[in-house]
Amino acid sequence: MKFTWKWLLDHLETDKKLSEIIETLPKLGLEVASVVNLAEDLKNFISVEIIDVKNHPNADKLKVCKVFDGKNTFNVVCGAPNVKLGMKSVFANIGTFIPGLNLKLKKGKIRGEESLGMLCSEKELSLSENHNGIIELENSSELGLSISDIMDLNDPIIEIEITPNRSDCLGVRGIARDLAAAGAGNLKDLNVKFNDGEFDSIINWHVDLDEDEEYLCPKIFGRSFTNLKNDESPSWLKNRLIAVDQRPISSIVDITNYIMIDIGRPLHAYDIDKIKGRTLRISKSKKGDKFFALNGNTYELDDNMLVISDEYSVDDLAGIMGGERTGVTENTTRMFLEAAIFNPVSIANTGRKLNLNSDARYRFERGLDYNSPEIVMHYAAAMVNKICGGKFSKIVNFELEQKNRIIKFDPNTVYQLTGVKIENKLSKSILEKLGFKIVSVDNMWDITPPSWRPDIDGKADIVEEIIRIHGYEKIPSTKLARSNYIAKPAMSIKHRQAFFASKILASRGYNEVITFSFLNKAMADQFNGGRLALNLVNPISSELTDMRPSIIPNLLLAVKKNLNVGAQDLSFFEIGPIFKGDSPSDQISTITGIRYGEKIKKDWQKEAVQFDFYDIKLDVSKTLDAIGVPKNSIKIFKDAPNYFHPGRSAVFKIGQSIIANFGEIHPNIVDFFGFNKSAIGFEIFYENIPLPKRNKISRPMLKISTLQPVTREFAFLINKEIESEKVCMIAKSINKDLITDVIILDIYNGEKIPQDMKSVAIKVTIQPIQETLTDSVLEEISANLINAIEKKLLGSLREI
Amino acid sequence: MISELKVDLQNLLNSIQISIHNSNTSSELENIRVNSLGKKGSITLYLKNIRDYDLETKKEMGAYLNEIKSQINKLILDKKFFFKKEHLKVKIKSEKIDVSLTPYEAEIGTLHPLSRTIEELCAIFADMGFSIVDGPDIESDYYNFTALNIPEEHPARQEHDTFYLQPDIEGHRKVLRTHTSPVQIRTMEKIDLKNFDEIRYIIPGRTYRSDHDATHSPMFHQCEGLVLGKNINMGHLKGCLIDFCRTYFNEDNLPVRFRPSYFPFTEPSAEVDIGCKKENDGSLVIGEEEDWLEILGSGMVHPRVLQGVGIDPSKYQGFAFGMGLERLTMLKYGIPDLRPFYDSDLRWLKHYGFLPFDNPSLHSGLNGVFS
Repeated sequence: MKFTWKWLLDHLETDKKLSEIIETLPKLGLEVASVVNLAEDLKNFISVEIIDVKNHPNADKLKVCKVFDGKNTFNVVCGAPNVKLGMKSVFANIGTFIPGLNLKLKKGKIRGEESLGMLCSEKELSLSENHNGIIELENSSELGLSISDIMDLNDPIIEIEITPNRSDCLGVRGIARDLAAAGAGNLKDLNVKFNDGEFDSIINWHVDLDEDEEYLCPKIFGRSFTNLKNDESPSWLKNRLIAVDQRPISSIVDITNYIMIDIGRPLHAYDIDKIKGRTLRISKSKKGDKFFALNGNTYELDDNMLVISDEYSVDDLAGIMGGERTGVTENTTRMFLEAAIFNPVSIANTGRKLNLNSDARYRFERGLDYNSPEIVMHYAAAMVNKICGGKFSKIVNFELEQKNRIIKFDPNTVYQLTGVKIENKLSKSILEKLGFKIVSVDNMWDITPPSWRPDIDGKADIVEEIIRIHGYEKIPSTKLARSNYIAKPAMSIKHRQAFFASKILASRGYNEVITFSFLNKAMADQFNGGRLALNLVNPISSELTDMRPSIIPNLLLAVKKNLNVGAQDLSFFEIGPIFKGDSPSDQISTITGIRYGEKIKKDWQKEAVQFDFYDIKLDVSKTLDAIGVPKNSIKIFKDAPNYFHPGRSAVFKIGQSIIANFGEIHPNIVDFFGFNKSAIGFEIFYENIPLPKRNKISRPMLKISTLQPVTREFAFLINKEIESEKVCMIAKSINKDLITDVIILDIYNGEKIPQDMKSVAIKVTIQPIQETLTDSVLEEISANLINAIEKKLLGSLREI
Repeated sequence: MISELKVDLQNLLNSIQISIHNSNTSSELENIRVNSLGKKGSITLYLKNIRDYDLETKKEMGAYLNEIKSQINKLILDKKFFFKKEHLKVKIKSEKIDVSLTPYEAEIGTLHPLSRTIEELCAIFADMGFSIVDGPDIESDYYNFTALNIPEEHPARQEHDTFYLQPDIEGHRKVLRTHTSPVQIRTMEKIDLKNFDEIRYIIPGRTYRSDHDATHSPMFHQCEGLVLGKNINMGHLKGCLIDFCRTYFNEDNLPVRFRPSYFPFTEPSAEVDIGCKKENDGSLVIGEEEDWLEILGSGMVHPRVLQGVGIDPSKYQGFAFGMGLERLTMLKYGIPDLRPFYDSDLRWLKHYGFLPFDNPSLHSGLNGVFS
C-alpha cells in the first residue's frame, strides 16, 4: 500500500514530522517497506526554456540547443525527437547525479559540440519508464525552479505492508485513523456532501440470486452521471496517482482509482451508452460464459462465479475486474458508478480459479467497510462533478439487513492475555478512537466493531486492538518459570540417537549434507519409489518431482557435483526423511551415508587403498554401537535392496526389523552417474532399533582379573564357501567364561591349499578368572576347539 | 710367603687393571673376565691353590683374594656400562628422521551449519524447560491450513506457495507442509486434558514452498515453538523470546522489538525484530540499535485453534512462535547466500561446518569458537 505524506495529511491533522509518523506506523502493525523522498533526489533538476535549436553539424539525429534558466544560458546537445524552440523542459547541470542512468554528468563534447548539461526524460529522472522524449513542462512554468516543486514531486512516498486482516488500511483514511487512535493526531472529517441527485438513475440493479444466495451480494449501490467531460485529469490528481504507481488514464477512471487508494473503496464505472438495456443483473455465471476483461484478456468462466451482465452478456466480474465492452473511454459522457459489497470467499475463489489479480480483488477478498457503498456514492459524486462537470442521479441500491455483530467482552481479558494492567477507561477510549461502540452491562462490555473492521470477531481480536494501540513495548518481559528441576532430556531417545550418529560419522570422516526431500522420477523409480501418491502436482523443476524413497541417490548426486569441481575422495552423510507413502507413518527417518574414492591416499609412507564394503560395515557397526545397539542382537543377511551390488552388500537385522542396508552401490547405478570407481553406501533405519528395556542408570559391576591372559593361535582348513566369521563364533562358544576374544589373523587360499578350501588362522584370547590355568586346562580348551571346528565345519587343523 | 703371594697378586691385579683399561670391545672385556675370573682364570687358580695352605694363611689369603676378585668384577662392570653408553651415543647419533614430512591422513568430517543451529536451539530451549518434538513433512490440508484457522479462501493461503501431491481417488490432495505450525495441532491433539498442566515444545524441521530464487529455496527449515498452560500470557512470550534472541546471538544487550502483526493462528500476534546496523559493504552487525531486522513471528494461540483441538480457551492459553533457521544461521555465522546450504559442496561444508565434538551447550558456549 503506497501513499504520499500530503495525502495522509488530507485525513490526519497532526504536528508530527514524517520521521515520527514513520516510527509510529510499525508499532501499530503497519510495517514500513520504504520511504522515497523525490524532492531530495531531484533538487538539482531545474526548469528551463529552450531558446535556440540548431541542427548538429556532425550528426543527423542530434540538435544543439541553448537553454535559459532565467539567469544563465547553457549549451546542450540533445537527441530527443520532441525538442523544439520555446519549449519548457527539465535541465540537469554538470555534476548532477542522474538516477535513471545511475551516473554523474560530466562536461564534454558530443561529436565535437560542447554540452554543458542534459535535457531529461521521465526515465532519466526515474519517474517512469517513459523515454520517448524530454519532459515537456507547462508553458506557464516559472524558470529556474526545482523540478520537484513544479511537478509536485516534493511529497514523500511511503509504502507499508498490510497484513491480510487490515483491509481497512488499504486506504489512506484507515491509516490516518490508526495513527489518530495512537495519539499521532486527529482524524479529519471526511466532509461528505450528501446530495440525493436530480433525476432517476438511468440504469437499475437486478439482483438475480436465490434468497439463500443473496449473501453473495449483500449490498450494491449505483448512480448515473450525465453531461460529463472525460478529459485528462488535473495534474494534482495525476501526480498523486503516479506517486502510488497508478497509471493516469482519464478523469473518471482516475477518480475511481483515487478513491480506492483514498478510502480503500474500489469502484467500477460503466459507460451508460454501451450498456444494452437499462438493467444490470447480478447473478452467478454458467460454465462456458465468456468474459472480455478490461485488461484485454478473455476468460472462460466456470459455474457459480459472481458476475454482472446487461441484456447482451456478462461484462463485469464482480469485485475483480470490469469488462472491455462497457468500460469508459475519453468519449464517455454518461456513466454509471457501482459500489458493492461482495462475499469475500466467492471473490477469492473466482480470482484464484481464473488466476486474475487486481487491486479491487485484493481489497474485496480481504473485506470492505460495510457502510462504504452508500458514503462513496456521495463522496465520488462530488469529485466527479468537480472534475468532469455534469449532473448525477438518485441512488439505486439493493441491500440486505445487516446482522448485529456484538462481541461480549470481559475487560479483565486484557490483563489475562497480555499481562499488562490497563485501566478500563483507557481500554475503552482506545477502542472508541478506533470506531468501536461499547455498552457496559454488569462489568461486561457489549462491543460493536466498526463497519470497516470485518476481521474483528472475538475477544482476542479486541485485546489485540487495545494492546497494539497501547504499545507492545509496555508488555512486561516475564521469565518462564521452570516447572520442575528434575533433569529430563529435552530430546527423545530417537533424536539423541540421530545426534550421536552424526557426531560419530563426522569423526569418522563423513561430512554432513542436507539435500532436498524430492528428486526426479527416474531416480525415484530406480530406488523403488515413484508412487503416484508421492508425485508433486506443481514441482519447481522436472528434476524435483517425487518424494525420495532413499537418500542414497541424493548423496550420489552430491558426490557427482563434487567430482565435477575437482574433489576426489568423498564421504557424505545425511540424516533425514524418506517416504514410502503419504501417511505420517510412511515417513521414515534414516541415517544415510556414501563413501567414494580412497580411504588411504598414496604418499611417501603408504600405498593407496580404496574404500570398500568392509569400511562401510565398520562405519555402520561403530555407529550402531555408539547409539546403544547391543552387538549380539544384530544378525547379518545378504538380501540388501536391488540398488546394492548383489554380491557385495548385506543387511543388519534385529529380529525381523531391518536396521541397516550397506555395501557397494549397484554397478549399473554407479555407471549411470558416470563414476569410474565404486561407491559404497549405507542406510540406517534407526527408528527400527528397539528401545532399551532396561531403564537402569547404574552399570553392572566391573570384574577385572589380575591374572595374565593367555593367547593361542590356530589355523584351520575349511571349505572356502563357509563364512569365515563362523570359525570365530564356534571358537567363542567353546568356553564363554574364559574365551574373551577371537580374531581372524589371516585368510589364505594360495599354494599348498586345496582348490575348494581356504585356511583361516585365528588368535584366541583366554582370560583366567580366579587362578592361573594349568597346561591341562589349556590343552582341553584347544582340543575342544579343534574338535568343534572339525565337527561343525568339517574343517581340519593345519600345521603352521 | 704371604707377602710374596700378595705382591704377585698385586702385580696380577695391576696387569688385569691395565688390560681392562685398554680393552676396546665387549668381547675383549669378556676374554679378560674369562681369563681372570673364569673356571680356569688366573685369579680362580689362586683361589683353588689356597686350599693347600694352613688355616691362618687360608683365611688371610682368602679374604685378600676375594677383595681382588670383587675389584676386578667392579672394573669389568664399569667398563661394560661405559661400552653400553658409548654404543648408545653412536646409535643415537646415527638415528635421524626428516621431521618436515607429514604423512597424509583423511580429515575429520564436519556437521552442517543448519544442524548446528538446531542443536543450539535445542540447548537454549531445553534450558527453559522445552522438549523437542517433530511431525510429518507430508500433511493434510486440515493440519497445514484449516486447523490453523486458514480456511480454503483465506488470502494468507496465497502467500504460502504450497506444493501439492497427486490427489487420491476421492480428490483429496496432500501438501508438503508450508510451515512447522501443523505440528502445533498434532501436539495439542495428543494432550490428555485430565492430567494436563503445561506443555513447552519446540519443533524444528523441514518445510516446503514452491519458490526458488536467490532468497528462497523450495525446501527450507523452520523451528516452531509452543507453550500452553493456564496462565501463560504475552509477558511470557516476550520474556522467552528476548532470552532466546540474546542467548542465540550471544549479545546480553541485544535490542529486541515486538511489533503487532498478523498470523491466522495467533491473536494477538507479534513480529520480533532485533537491532542491527547495516555496514557500507552490505554486511550486518547484530546488536546495534540503528536498524531493525525481522527474526521471527509469534503470538498468543488463537482461541479458534484451541477450540478446534478440543481445548477450552477460557481455561488454557499460551503462545506460539516460528522462525526460519537458514536465516538465523546466515545472520549468526555471516553466511551470505542461501542456495549453497543444499548444494553439498565440500568446500562450503568444510568452511561453514562444525567439528563433531564442538557441542553447543550453555556451559561451553554456543558459538563454536574453535571451528
